[in-house]
Order: sequence, then structure tokens, then C-alpha cells
Amino acid sequence: MGCYWSKKAKTPGYEDPAVLAAETPFTVNEVEALHELFKKLSSSIFDDGLIHKEEFQLALFKNKDKRNLFADRIFDLFDLKRNGVIEFGEFVRSLGVFHPNAPVEDKTAFAFRLYDLRQTGYIEREELKEMVLALLHESELVLSDDVIEVIVDKTYSEADKKGDGRIDQEEWREFVLKHPSLIKNMTLPYLKDITLAFPSFVMSSEVEDSEI
Amino acid sequence: MDSSWFKKSVPKMVRTKQEQEFDETSEKITWKQTETLNAFHIISLSEGFDLSPLFEEKKREEKEELRFATTLPASSVISTLEEVAKAGKFRIKKSDSMVRLQGEESGRKGKLAIAAEIFAVTPSFLVVEVKKDSGDTLEYNQFCSKELRPALKDIVWTSPVDGSTQRLLD
Repeated sequence: MGCYWSKKAKTPGYEDPAVLAAETPFTVNEVEALHELFKKLSSSIFDDGLIHKEEFQLALFKNKDKRNLFADRIFDLFDLKRNGVIEFGEFVRSLGVFHPNAPVEDKTAFAFRLYDLRQTGYIEREELKEMVLALLHESELVLSDDVIEVIVDKTYSEADKKGDGRIDQEEWREFVLKHPSLIKNMTLPYLKDITLAFPSFVMSSEVEDSEI
Repeated sequence: MDSSWFKKSVPKMVRTKQEQEFDETSEKITWKQTETLNAFHIISLSEGFDLSPLFEEKKREEKEELRFATTLPASSVISTLEEVAKAGKFRIKKSDSMVRLQGEESGRKGKLAIAAEIFAVTPSFLVVEVKKDSGDTLEYNQFCSKELRPALKDIVWTSPVDGSTQRLLD
């Protein structure tokens, strides 16, 4: 096992599938399938084994220049090392949080960091409003500022139990407990079927070293 | 407890798991009030969070979810869906905030089933989410474009040109 995988380790950020499988809800086979996907995504513009922002945007929106606040946040959170690119290990570990079997606590914490736009450790009211505006803009829905204020106010007063003008992690956890559907976007059901989507890996893992 | 799997003979028409679930869950639908959407729910609808394009080639137009806003009451949404169901010969089950349609004939992948859920952003501004529960996606898309969307034309709300959204606060 050691010999075969060390040849692939040349790509920065590559991690042994067995290690990744042990630390995420994925099996080794699923990690291998994710590697097939990763190879595809990371070579679409820059063939360097790393997912750049434009490659991420290209994959998500079929348009490498399309900007989206929430896609930006996802990209930043996947980029654990904060070096501007998503490496294979980061890719698998981050996707692991979206697996149906991942603990709810992990999903809740990830969502909190997603929404904490300026990473202050709190979700401030301005950040919440900024995100609502971004969503409306994306949906080409125009609501007057009054209506938006009402929506933000209602939400904020329910979540900000301590009334200190910001939502902390504890308040967020309680809020999610009351409204579990809030983290629906933190689960990707098809992650359970990933080996069906990328069957080609089955052949390559049985192939001789010379194939690499 | 459901002991149907103890039965020795296989029923003449084998029903798919989804068809059985349609009947079971419909009985269990708690007649709940229209659920309120808060700002975080709205945000979670963003396409930036939908990572499915990473995994499949499907174009966004082929997505199985249809979402629209309306200022009409939930009862209008429900009666519009009832008319669609009657015209398309669908069985219908409904509550105050949810409607389920199931085709009477089996299509390419069993009976087509559609679920519509109604959420309140404010008491007079609702968001309705329609998605395929089971059945063939092509049939679902055809249903959406030929039967559903035309019927929804009168109740869908779009941003007014003059920016007058004050009444949404009522």
C-alpha cells in the first residue's frame, strides 16, 4: 500500500485516502472517487492539481468569472490553509461535513463560520442584512428596505437571545435546534452515491504502478 | 408495525417503495401552520450553496426544484394546485402548508409524485417550493412546463417595476 500511494504524493495537499477515510464519513473507495472528481475540477483551467477560485466558479456556475458571496464563503472555508487554493485533503475533509452521516454539531459549526462574513466570531446584524441583500440580488428580487429590515429584525430578535446585537455560537446552536431546517443546505445527499457517479476509479486502483 | 413483509404472496401489482411511502406519510402529515421563513432560511436558498453542479452535468434548468413567491394567501396556492391536479389526473393530499400530487398511471420510473411546500416570509408574502418526490425527471419537467407553470402565472409575484413593495409588510 505504501509504495503505490507515495508516487501520487507529489501533488501538494495530497493525502493518503486511508487517512482521509479514517477522519471523515467517507470510505476509502469514496475518497478515491472524490479524487477522480478532484482531478477533473483542479485541471479545468490550471493543470496543477489544485482548485483555484475560477475553477470552482466554473464548476459551480459554468462561468469562471461569476461571483457569488456564498460561493466565496464556501471556497474560503474549504481553503483550510488559507493559501488561496483548495487542495485534495482540504476538499475531502470539507466535503465530509456535508455528508449525510456527518454530525449535526459539525454542520452547525460550519454554517456559523460561513455566515460570519468577517470572521469576528459573531454574526453581526449588518452581516445578516448583507447576506439577505446578496440573496435577493442573486434571485433578481427587489424588496424595499423596509421589508428587508422587518425580515432581518424578526430573525435577529429571535436568534439574539442575549440582546447584545450579535449572534454568538451558542445562540446559533440553540437557534438551529429550534429550526433544524436552517442547516438543510449543509447536507448533500448524493455524497452517499459518489462511487456511482465516478465508477472509473474502480479500474484505476487496480492498475499497475506504471499507469501513474 | 408494518408486517407486510411477512406476507407469503407477492401482491399482483408491485408498488414501488415511494408509492407506499406517499400513502403512509400523507396519513402522518401533521396539519401544521404555514412555516415561517426567517432570514437564514432565505439565505440558505442561494445557488452558491448548491454544490450539486460539482457532481453532475445537469444544467440548472433541469433542476428538480421550482421556487416562486406570491402575495396571495396559501389557500389560493392550494386551490390552484388542486386545479392542476384535477386537470392532470393526479391524486392529491394536502395540509395547510403542503400539497402532494401523485399521478394515477405509472410513468417510466413509477408514478410521478410532486410535493409543494408553502413558507411564510411575512404573513402576506409567501414562498412556495415545488419539487419532484419520485418518478422520472423528464416527465416531471414536462409536467412543470406544460401544466404547472402556465397555471401558476396568475399567482406568481415578481418585483414591481415601480419598487412599491410596502404592502408586503401588511
